[in-house]
Amino acid sequence: MTNWRLWVGMIATGLIVFVAIFGPILAPYEKDYVEPTGYFYNGPDDFGIHTSPYPPSKEHLLGTDQWGYDILTLLLYGAKYTVFVGVGVAFLRIIIGGSFGIWFGLVGKEKNKAGTIFGLLGSIPAFLIIYFLLIRITINSPLSVIELVLLQSFLMVIVGFPGVYAAVFSKTVELKKELYITATKALGSGRIRILWKHIFPHLKGTLVAMFVKEIILVLTLIGQLGIFNLFLGGTILRLGGPPVYISISRDWAGLIGQWRSFIYDYQWILYFPLLAFVLLLFSFYMLSRGIELKQKATLQKFPHI
Amino acid sequence: MRIVFSVGGLLAFIFLLAAVPLSITIIDGNLSISLQTIVDLVKSYLNGLLNGDSFTYQEGKSRTYSFLKDVSAYFFTSLRYLLLAGILAVVIGMLISAWYSKSKKEWIKDIIGFLGTIPDFILVFFLQLGVVFIYKSTGLKIARVASLSADENAYLLPLITLTIIPAIYLIRTLSERTYDVLSDDYILTAKAKGLKKRYIHIHHVVRNVLPFLKADLHKVLAIMMSNLFIVEYLFNIRGLTTILFGGTLYQFNLTVNTLIALVFLYLIIYWSIRLLILLLERVFAHD
Repeated sequence: MTNWRLWVGMIATGLIVFVAIFGPILAPYEKDYVEPTGYFYNGPDDFGIHTSPYPPSKEHLLGTDQWGYDILTLLLYGAKYTVFVGVGVAFLRIIIGGSFGIWFGLVGKEKNKAGTIFGLLGSIPAFLIIYFLLIRITINSPLSVIELVLLQSFLMVIVGFPGVYAAVFSKTVELKKELYITATKALGSGRIRILWKHIFPHLKGTLVAMFVKEIILVLTLIGQLGIFNLFLGGTILRLGGPPVYISISRDWAGLIGQWRSFIYDYQWILYFPLLAFVLLLFSFYMLSRGIELKQKATLQKFPHI
Repeated sequence: MRIVFSVGGLLAFIFLLAAVPLSITIIDGNLSISLQTIVDLVKSYLNGLLNGDSFTYQEGKSRTYSFLKDVSAYFFTSLRYLLLAGILAVVIGMLISAWYSKSKKEWIKDIIGFLGTIPDFILVFFLQLGVVFIYKSTGLKIARVASLSADENAYLLPLITLTIIPAIYLIRTLSERTYDVLSDDYILTAKAKGLKKRYIHIHHVVRNVLPFLKADLHKVLAIMMSNLFIVEYLFNIRGLTTILFGGTLYQFNLTVNTLIALVFLYLIIYWSIRLLILLLERVFAHD
């Protein structure tokens, strides 16, 4: 049986990375293009005005938003922020958390069980911590987009790597109990050798699988922050009238966040960014399922009933 | 002694978190955090504990209200949603994981797994868009899209969101555990003795899966708490978490008090579900 999930995942992620890199070239309009509002007159019975938001049509495949910006264009321009921050943050989490986890798992003793209060500390939602740290920085920020993206990525790495560390640590401690480790120790191999020749090859698959899952977690975190108006790359807040939040970088989570009130009418404005985000998650999910099944085929136990 | 340290650590963390927004300044693109501000804020909060100033909050320019008097309504709203969703999630998770663990059909796992990776806010949006779509095409109003006021709460959609996400997490982890238990030797022994499948499940499998549920409870609650923020925000439910995001004026006292109230909420939910598990143990794991 071919592992079609792995293939679907790889092709879909490949496409998304392609879009993220070449999005601005593919975009049908300029980044700042606004479809003008105007009137038409074709005869005494056929006249009127046309205003944004324009529904999906031939000129605007995914429609425009309330100011007349082409949604497809914004999505194509914003893709790089969402995709590369997601992948980059996940990668750093795995590198930092993984290397610490393996090393301390190999050196240290087994951890004692965490109590109620420790569980409580761990269950403070990640986005809440970042929310408090960023609320005064992201909105109408004097920092540039790149600076903000780097700051936000840094915080997301800090918040996330302990989770990776804990998982890798416990896996390493588990592996250390295996007989072949005892055997190789009896034969006199040192810590570095055990690490490279016995622990790491075993954990390689797990780390790859964790990497893809971590990407999904990071994307979720970016999305949740977007819901609370903290957009990747900065938020413009316009006061005077009802407050309006605008994403500077046009990253996908930011677009969802800034248009989240379009539930009752003009739904395409919310619907298409949402769909794009779900597709992004779906492709990474397929990839992770594919990797998972590939590993399951090699290390499987069978139930008796 | 350890508990004292942990409570202290937690309180310190809450103080720090709540003070950060007020202590950050950006001048000419240079980010700086003033430790002095944090110390001052904590000091004034602690002083305010004695004369009661810490338990007040402001609305508008000069109106001051008592936090302790007003918080209970918010607290019980959140408690109601979370408790109901928590119990539902545990029951559903236990029931489905037993069946799911033996399922050979990978496509079911695909679907449940994908539902598990969909973030809470996307689920909320799709539920809301779905209800509006059905209303527009058939005129049928299935559920409230959002709460209109404190008396007209939306119930169905928030509860669905709050239940589905932890339930899926439970299904995935518990089914893995069930799978491991099923491949253990004592199950083979029981099978060799000619015991019925259902008997083995009730008397040997469930009781060996329950400890894993207990161990995973913090993780489940972490997921639920994080969902609570999103759900209350997007469905406009006047629960505890809305206090944090609602006001235009950032108030240190209010934020600290709310975060502490959230800790209490967590503990109540935690021990309620532990009680539920204790009940399940009485039923399945009595000797």
